[in-house]
This record gives sequence, structure tokens and C-alpha cells, in this order.
Amino acid sequence: MGELLGNYLPILVFLGIAIGLGLVLLLAAAVIAVRNPDPEKVSAYECGFNAFDDARMKFDVRFYLVSILFIIFDLEIAFLFPWAVAFKDVGLLGFWSMIVFLAVLTIGFAYEWKKGALEWE
Amino acid sequence: MISADLNIVLPELILAVYAMGALMFAVYTGKDATAPLILGSTAALMAALGVWIAISGSGAATAFGGAFIDDGFSRFAKVIILLSAAAILLMSQSYMERIGILKFEYPILIALATVGMMMMVSAGDLMALYMGLELQSLSLYVIAALHRDDQRSTEAGLKYFVLGALSSGLLLYGASLTYGYAGTTLFSGILETISDGKMPIGLLLGLVFLFAGLAFKVSAAPFHMWTPDVYEGSPTPVTAFFATAPKVAAMALFARVAHDAFGTVTADWTQIIALLSVVSMFLGAIAAIGQRDIKRLMAYSSIAHMGFALMGLAAGTMFGIQAMLIYLAIYVVMNIGTFAFILSMERDGQPVTDIDGLHQYSKAEPLKALALLVLMFSLAGVPPMVGFFGKFYVLQAAVDADLAWLAVAGVIASVIGAFYYLRIVYFMYFGEERDAIQTPMNAYNWAALVGAAVIMVAGVVNLFGVEALAAAAAETLVN
Amino acid sequence: MPSIILFAPLVGALICGFGWRIIGEKAAMWVATGLLFLAALLSWIVFLGFDGQTQQIQIFRFIESGTLSTDWAIRLDRLTAIMLIVVTTVSSLVHLYSFGYMDHDPQWREGETYKPRFFAYLSFFTFAMLALVTSDNLVQMFFGWEGVGVASYLLIGFYYRKPSANAAAIKAFIVNRVGDFGFALGIFGLFFLVDSISFDEVFRAAPKLAETNLTFLWTEWNAANLLAFLLFVGAMGKSAQLFLHTWLPDAMEGPTPVSALIHAATMVTAGVFLVARMSPLYEFAPEAKTFIVYLGAATAFFAASVGLVQNDIKRVIAYSTCSQLGYMFVAAGVGVYSVAMFHLLTHAFFKAMLFLGAGSVIHAMHHEQDMRNYGNLRKKIPYTFWAMMIGTLAITGVGIPLTAIGFSGFLSKDAIIESAYGAATPAGNFAFWLLVSAAVMTAFYSWRLMFMTFYGTERGDKHTHEHAHESPRTMLVPLGVLAIGAIFSGMVWYNDFFGKTSAVETFFGMEQTAKAESSHASLSLIGAANAAENGKEEPSSSHDGEKKAAAEPGKGAIYRHPDNTVLDDAHYVPKWVKVSPFIAMLLGFLGAWVMYIRRPDWPAKLAENQRPLYLFLLNKWYFDEIYDAVFVRPAKSLGSFLWKRGDGSVIDGALNGVAMGIVPFFTRLAGRAQSGYLFTYAFWMVLGIVFLVSWMTIRGGAI
Repeated sequence: MGELLGNYLPILVFLGIAIGLGLVLLLAAAVIAVRNPDPEKVSAYECGFNAFDDARMKFDVRFYLVSILFIIFDLEIAFLFPWAVAFKDVGLLGFWSMIVFLAVLTIGFAYEWKKGALEWE
Repeated sequence: MISADLNIVLPELILAVYAMGALMFAVYTGKDATAPLILGSTAALMAALGVWIAISGSGAATAFGGAFIDDGFSRFAKVIILLSAAAILLMSQSYMERIGILKFEYPILIALATVGMMMMVSAGDLMALYMGLELQSLSLYVIAALHRDDQRSTEAGLKYFVLGALSSGLLLYGASLTYGYAGTTLFSGILETISDGKMPIGLLLGLVFLFAGLAFKVSAAPFHMWTPDVYEGSPTPVTAFFATAPKVAAMALFARVAHDAFGTVTADWTQIIALLSVVSMFLGAIAAIGQRDIKRLMAYSSIAHMGFALMGLAAGTMFGIQAMLIYLAIYVVMNIGTFAFILSMERDGQPVTDIDGLHQYSKAEPLKALALLVLMFSLAGVPPMVGFFGKFYVLQAAVDADLAWLAVAGVIASVIGAFYYLRIVYFMYFGEERDAIQTPMNAYNWAALVGAAVIMVAGVVNLFGVEALAAAAAETLVN
Repeated sequence: MPSIILFAPLVGALICGFGWRIIGEKAAMWVATGLLFLAALLSWIVFLGFDGQTQQIQIFRFIESGTLSTDWAIRLDRLTAIMLIVVTTVSSLVHLYSFGYMDHDPQWREGETYKPRFFAYLSFFTFAMLALVTSDNLVQMFFGWEGVGVASYLLIGFYYRKPSANAAAIKAFIVNRVGDFGFALGIFGLFFLVDSISFDEVFRAAPKLAETNLTFLWTEWNAANLLAFLLFVGAMGKSAQLFLHTWLPDAMEGPTPVSALIHAATMVTAGVFLVARMSPLYEFAPEAKTFIVYLGAATAFFAASVGLVQNDIKRVIAYSTCSQLGYMFVAAGVGVYSVAMFHLLTHAFFKAMLFLGAGSVIHAMHHEQDMRNYGNLRKKIPYTFWAMMIGTLAITGVGIPLTAIGFSGFLSKDAIIESAYGAATPAGNFAFWLLVSAAVMTAFYSWRLMFMTFYGTERGDKHTHEHAHESPRTMLVPLGVLAIGAIFSGMVWYNDFFGKTSAVETFFGMEQTAKAESSHASLSLIGAANAAENGKEEPSSSHDGEKKAAAEPGKGAIYRHPDNTVLDDAHYVPKWVKVSPFIAMLLGFLGAWVMYIRRPDWPAKLAENQRPLYLFLLNKWYFDEIYDAVFVRPAKSLGSFLWKRGDGSVIDGALNGVAMGIVPFFTRLAGRAQSGYLFTYAFWMVLGIVFLVSWMTIRGGAI
């Protein structure tokens, strides 16, 4: 029984530190920080939109464009990680495969660049 | 090893590299000004590839560890896909120019979709299947919404995308179930696990979900709901494209999965496909009667026709596959001809798709009216047009496979369906005076319309030998 | 040469029917007529130069299907040769006659073109008739058979503005269908058993058929009898024998030349020709032959009795035709086919002439056909009168008893009556008495016709009588030519048709049964007269000869069973039998003379006294009424039931219900399901997959 619980001791330690750190930070803000609130400052912040509003509102489609483009490269990274980890095993074929993959991705990137998808105005 | 693999996928490789090269070329030079050039070269390349595959291809080979299969069946489908895609591209130029959406991305997207379709028909692995399917689908989602300023076009693209995602989800779920129970994604491997003809229930469910996803792609009822809206909303050349090459690719893929991966348990899946077939035929026939918009009408028409093609597949025999391939080849030619006409319909310079405009059309354009009459008769399956023989083959396949009830249902459905085809003929020849339409055509469209009509009549002799080719193709798929 | 005879009328019909717009109306008519005269000339050359040997002239391959393989060929034997001259002669004369008769037909408006059409039909008919008589197999014969049927239909209904003509045409066609059905069944049966339809094969197989049984309808039949009977049903239709005779009187709605050609001289004799042609089969079908005798005799009696009271001049002759055909069938039925053909030949001459003469009268009287409106025309149309007189003498059988001198009808009819008696069977005796009494009536109605038309007082419209005029020469010439035939044809060929057995056998190219007799055979007139008497010594020897020979069926034009000695026996009937037709003729003549010359008021009184009998005869034994009640009305009511209820309510109703009710309902439903909302679509997809999954789970995969 003691042994089983002993295995969980590090978690308990982590828990303690986390709670302590949290308390310190909260209290520090209350004790040290300068308070000079205004409406903009206290409102919740998310990508420049009001957090609580009608969901069916108009906003610039470029936000979506950027986020979709971001997702592509985000996934590319997700693909690169396992490749990098297994790099030693996949050999030259694996290397060139990834290069081709990146080249294709780059062509897409070049296209959207020239198309002006990355310009805000 | 790798070079041998690449050699097998050479046509796909060429088309893919070309698409990327063309994209870079266009975006770095004249952008949309280069569109006619790109369109022409894409069509030329696809036609050349089609001819090349038709002539050079022989034997069967697999690449990438069985994930890619190059055999007579896939080549038959690829030739139809490439040639029809090239034809549609050429036909679409003037229309796209007229409504101002001749963008250089259009031919490139078609090329990419075509690469996806070629992947689909050659898929020998669930992952290759999915990859081809998604490459095709994503390209199609985009070109459905190509007319960005048009609300209906964007709506079509969005609907297609959302429902396509749903179907992809179903398909992926089925694929994962299959993988879970078979322990492999290779078709040949799946076939091995059920070589005794017994299906674990999990695999059965996987099969159902897989087929549901594929049924969406061929727009078989009840997974057809997107079709009318997307056909109607998309720019007409895109609709024409949707109605031809992707249908062939999806049907071929359907057959590929059914026979290559589940060939030992035909009794299990023929009932699903027979069910899809009969519902599609009747829905396509009945729902089209209420349509006044020719694009929507063609959407239901293609649903019904896919029902018939599925009948060939439902037979579960080699002859069934042969009948299905013949049916698809005929179907594609008929649709190219018909859409060549639809593309040219306009009133006061504005494209129209209302069949009311066809009243008394034969007076103004006797030759075109005659060609359309032949095509409508053929679509309806009236002998002696070639369309009849397509139906005849699948019906025979169904009867041979003891699916007489399905054949009878097919005959009834085709009788009901004849109504709306013949109504168009009626309007053209016996309609009352109405606000008439004009149909200016360039040489491509004219040739496609008249050529298709001539084929529908002349093909009666021996179907241009398609029968033997389809038999050879079917033989490579079903052993 | 036979090919030219066969195809000349066809060429004429085509040129005349389709080419008259190019070459003109008159020229077209002359082309058709000229070609027919050519055919007639060649026919006579063929007939007179014919040596009795059967020839087959192949023209082209006709049918090649499985084991059915036949040529289109001409079978030229004596029967064909006889029919060739009958058909082409009468037809060419009728063509000529029609120039006059069809001119200014009141049925047509001024400027309308109808004559080329008429001539084309006539020529087409002639072609079909020739195809029938020259055929070498049953299917070819059937082709001609139906061809004459079509031509007959077209010509009866030639006056298509007259509803009665159309009705008559349809009636003729439909009644003939009944017969043709039997004929077709007979052909099928023969092909089924013999596996061939060529006459040679069928004839060869005839003895075997007599020993074969065939299941038909409810029981087994002797094949030869059954097939012979079925073929005879076809003959009954075409030749207007009892029960299928109703169309012939109505066919008189057609123009008179048509009646002369088709409904007297040629087409209606096709049935007789068929029986003669199939003689090898009939010789092995005694029961069928007996049936033919009974039916032929009954027809002869029945038609003659009806002819007594008819008032329409053409109808009288039509019933006369029907009656004479009965005579021919009796002859064929008792086994003397040559005598049947003899009467066919002579009848063609005198009956065609009677019809053409009647046509001339009608022409003179402005298309008035009721004899009650005639009278005393003797002076006004003398040539016609004399022609009719010759015809009447011929049909009533005027001649010198116990010799072979007399009008053609005298010789051929007496031959039939003697043969009937000579057959010495119950059927033969029955036929003998009926035929003799029919002969009385024949004489009566023929003379009645003459007296009512040419003697007595003028009756009817005065104006018409004043304008009565002799017909043009084109109409009189045919009458003259036919008159020669009506007078002499009997005497010239008596020996060939009804002479000694050997003479007949030589004439028809049959195998000689008694060689000794052949020396006596001659074509001379005087020799013919003696033939009957000389035959007396021979019977025993000729019988022996026949047994030895036992000729193979199909060798000659007609076949005689070795046991069939009727032809011989007919020559040795008692004297009173030979004289009886003459007496009958005299009785009939006297009766007519008394009733229509001496005491013209008697007929009306008699009709008054014997009203039921009179009405019975006037209404043709009520055949039409009975058929109307038994066949036509039930068929019509069944037809209208199927049409109104079956077709209209059930089929149309169901289809309309489906097409206009159920399908649109589903169309609306499908339209409503297509809401345009994504979630609906997704919902349907989910429903679909749920259904499929449940289906597969519950069914547990493979059935």
C-alpha cells in the first residue's frame, strides 16, 4: 500500500508547487500591481473581437485566410516531427521524400504569396 | 525499386508536375491572361496522356507495395476520365470567358482533380484510396465555388464541402473499422483475411461505411442530396465536369473496392449496392419530372444513370463489371454532348438553364435540335440509340445474376424517366411559341454536340469496339 | 415463257399504278392491258404446246430458315396450264371491257383519276392469281392466295365512298380469314409431318400420311384426313362454300368487271384448284373427300334456291356462281378432279360472260341493277341480249342428250352429275339428287333473269329506258370472245377432261394405267363423242392395269388412287341418269317461261301464298342473320367490353393513375425533401447509413 502511494509522491510534490506558485502570482498581482482600470482594459480579449456578442457578425475574411494558411504549416510541422525523430532510420529515400513534400508545399506558398493572399490591404 | 514504382505512376506524375509547373508559370507571368493558354495546354496534355495510356498500357503491375495498381481496368477508366476531362475543358472556355471567370486556376484545378481521380481508380490500398479521393474532392470543392461573386456558386461549393466532409468522415470511419478487423489497409490483404468467405461483423460495418462514403461520391440515393444543388449552383462547365469524369472515377473506385478488397463476399455487398441502385434509379426518374431547370434535371438524370451503372456492379459478376464500364463510357459521351448544348444556351447574352426556352427550338436550329433529340432519346434509353444498349447490358447482367427484380425495377424506372427526356424533345418540336433562346456555339461545342449525337446513332453497329475493351478490363478486375 | 406470263401483270400493275402520272392515264391503262394480252397469248401457246410433263422452273431462292428451304419456282403441269389460260384470258378481256365500263363512272367526280388505279388493281390481282396457280410449294401458294385476297379486298371496296362497298370488302376479307386460318393450319401440319412444303415432297409423303395419326384439338386424327380437311377449309373460304359463302353475294358491291374476273371466273375457283392440286393428298383422305361431296352438293342446292328469288341481277349471278362452285367440289370430292377442272374451265367462260353481259345491261340502264326495273331490253341492246342468251344456254346446259354435242355447260355439268352417280356411294347419291334439283333451279333462275330483263314490258323509270343504249365496242368484243368459249370449250376438250381414262391421263401427264387404251386417245371432236360408248369393254382390263401400275403420287398434274375408278364408272351410268340433267333443265325453263312470260302475275301470288318459304329464300336462309347473332354481336360486345372496360378503364385508368397521380405525388415528395438546407441533407445521409447498418446487422450479412 505504502509503496503504491509512494509512487505518486512526485505528483503530490508537483501539485503542491503548482498551488503555491499560483497563489504567489495571484497575490503578487494584488499586492504589487498598479491599478488603473478602464473599460477596454477590463474587457476580455480574443483576436480583436468582443468576446460576448452576436455570433453572426461581419468580420474580415482575411482572418480566416491567415488561420487556414497557418494550419497548413502547422500540420507540416506535425509531419516533420516524426520524420526528424526517425530520420536516422528512413535514410536517403525518406530525406528526399520530405524534400519533395516541402517543395510541393513551397509551390503552394509561392502561389499564395504571388496571389497576394498574404497582404492585408 | 523506386524508379520502377515511379515508372508505373508516370502519367500521374507528369500531370501532377505539370499542374504545379503551370501554376508557378501563370502566377509569375500574366496571371489570368494566361488562362486560355493554360487551358489549352492542359486539355492537350490530358488528351495526350489518355491516348498514351490507351495505346501503350499493357499487363498489370503494382507500385509502392501494392498501394497503386496499374491494370486494364484502371487504364480503361483513366482513358475515359482523361479524355472527358479534356473535352469538358475545351468546351468550357467560351462560357467561362463570357461570364468572366476564366481564371488560370480553373484548368489547373481540373488537372489536379484528374490526378486524384487517376489515383482513385488505381488505388490498391485504403490510404491510397483516401488520398486520391481527397485530392479529387478538394479540387472539386474549390471549382464548384469558382464563381466567387455568385451567391449560388459559393453556396454550392460550401454545401459540397460540408457534405463531402461528412461523407469523408463516414468513409474514414469505415476504413478504420476495416483496418481494425483486417489488420491491413491493403486491398489484397483484406481479401486474404476473408478468403474463406466469412465476414466478421466489424468488417461488415466497415464495408457499409466505406460504401456509404463512396455512394456519396457517385451521388447514389440516399447520399445524393448534394447533387441537384451543387449542379445547379456551380458554373455550368463545372457542372459538366462533375457529371462526367468524377462519376466514372468514383464508380471505378467503387468496383475496385468491392471486387479487390471484398471479392470473396459478393453476396454481402451486392444487396447493399442493389438497394442503392434501385433507390437511385427511382429517385432520379421521379424527382426529375418536377424540374424546369435543365442543370437540376441533369443532376437527377445522373443520379438515375448512376443507379443503372450500380446495377451492373450489383450483379457481382465479371459481366456486370463489363456492363458497368460500357454504361459509363456511353453515359459520359451522352453527357458531354448534352452539356455542350446546355453551355451554349443563352437569352439576350445571358446564360439560361430554363427548359421553357426550348419551345419551338427545332424551328430555329433544326440540326442542333435533331442532335439534342438523339441525345435525349439515348439518355432515355430508346432503341436503337446507343444509350439503349448501355441499359440493355446492365439489365442483362442483373438478370444473369438472378437479380431479375432489380432489372424489372430498372425497366420501370427508365420508363418513368423517359418522360422528362422526351418532354424536352416535345418542347423543341411541338412546343408553343415562347420567349426563345439562342445557342451560339463555337467549333468545340458544336463538334461535341453533333459528334456525341452521331456516336449515339453510329455506335449501334458495334459500339466502336468498347464492348471488347470493357470485357478485357473487367477480366483484369474480377478473376 | 412462264416467267413472262407470271410477271407481265406485275410489271403492268406497277407501271399503271405508280407510273400513270408520268406516262399519262390512257397510256398506263393500255400498258397494263397490253401486257395482259401478251400474257394471254403466251398462255395459249403454253397450253396448246404442252405435252403433259411436269416442269419446274426455278426463279429465285424464297425462304431459307432451318429445315424450311424453298425456291420460288413455277410448277408447270396441265393444271397450271389450264389455270393460266383461264386467268389470263378472262383477265385480259376484263381489262379491255373495263375501258368501256369504267368510263364516266358516276361514283367519281369530274376530273378525278380512278381508272389507272382500277387497272393496276386488276393487273395486280392477275399477278397474284398467277402466282397462286403456278406455285411449286404451299407457302408460295399461300402468298398468291393472300395476294388475291388483298386484290379482292381492294376491288370490292373500289367505290370507297360507298359505305356498303367498304362493309362488303371488310366482310369478304374477314370471312376469308376464317378459311385462311384453316389453310395455314393445314400448311403448318404438313410441314410438321413432312418437314417440307414443296408439292413433290408432300405428294410423295401422302401414302405415309394416310397411316399417320396426329393429335389436334381434343383427339387423334388420321393425318391425311385432318390435313385435307384443313386445306379444304381454306378452299371453302375462297370458293364461298356453305358456311363461308356469305361474302360472295356482298362482293357484288364491286364494279362489275371485278365480279366477272374475281368473283366468277378466277379467284373463287382457287379452292377447286387447291383440291385438284392436292389430289394426291385427297386420294388418301376418303373421309375428307366425302365431306367435300356433301358440302359441295349442299352449297349447289342452297345457292341455287336462294338465286330463285333475288332481284338484283348481279346477285342472281353471284348465287349462281356459288352454286356452280358446289358442282365443282362435288366432282373433286368424288375423285374426278379432271371433271372439276373441266367445269372450272367452261364455267369461267360462260360465267364471265354472264357477268360482263350483266355489266353491259347495267351500263345501258345507267347503273340500275334491280331486275324489276328492267324488261323488254331485247331490242335496245341486241348484242348484249345474244351474249346473255348464249351464256344462259351454256349455264343451263343445253345440248343433245347422250351425245357430246352441246354448249360447254351441258358437257361439264352433266359430267359432274354422272360422276356423282357413278361414284356409287351414299354421298354420291345424295349429291346426285341435290345436283339435279339444283339444275332445275339453275335453269329456272337463269331463264327468269333472261325473261325479266329482255322480255315482257318495260318497268321502272321511263327516262332510263328511253336512254338505254348498246355498249361501246370495247365491251362487246370481250363478250364475243367469251361467247366462243362458252359455246365450244366443252366440246373441244370433252375428251381430255372426261373422256376415257387413258385420254385423261395422257392429257394430265399421269402415268399410263392401261397402255392398250392410249391408241384411242385423240383430240378430235368426233372421237370425244364416241369415247363414252367405246369405254364399255375396257373396265376389267383397265382395273388390272391400274393395280399393276400403282402410280407414284405427284407424277402427273393430278393423281388417282388405284382404287378410284369413278371416271370410268361415270361413263356406264344408266341412261336415265344421263338424261336427267337435260330434263331438269327443261323443267326449269318451262317453269320460268310459265311464271314470267305466260302468267307474269303468278310469282307475286306464289310469294304471297308461300310467304315463309319466300322470305326464307329471299333472306338467304337467314345465314347473315344467324352469323350476326352468333358471331358478330357477341364478338362486338366482347370487343367493346374489352375496349371500354378492359382497355379504357383498367389499362388506361391504371396507367393514367400511375402517370398522373402516383408519380407526380412522389415527385412533389422528392421536391419537398430537397429543402436546400444542409442539415436536411446531412440528416438524409445519416438516415441512409443508419438504415444500411441496421439492414446489414439484422440480415447478418450474406443471406
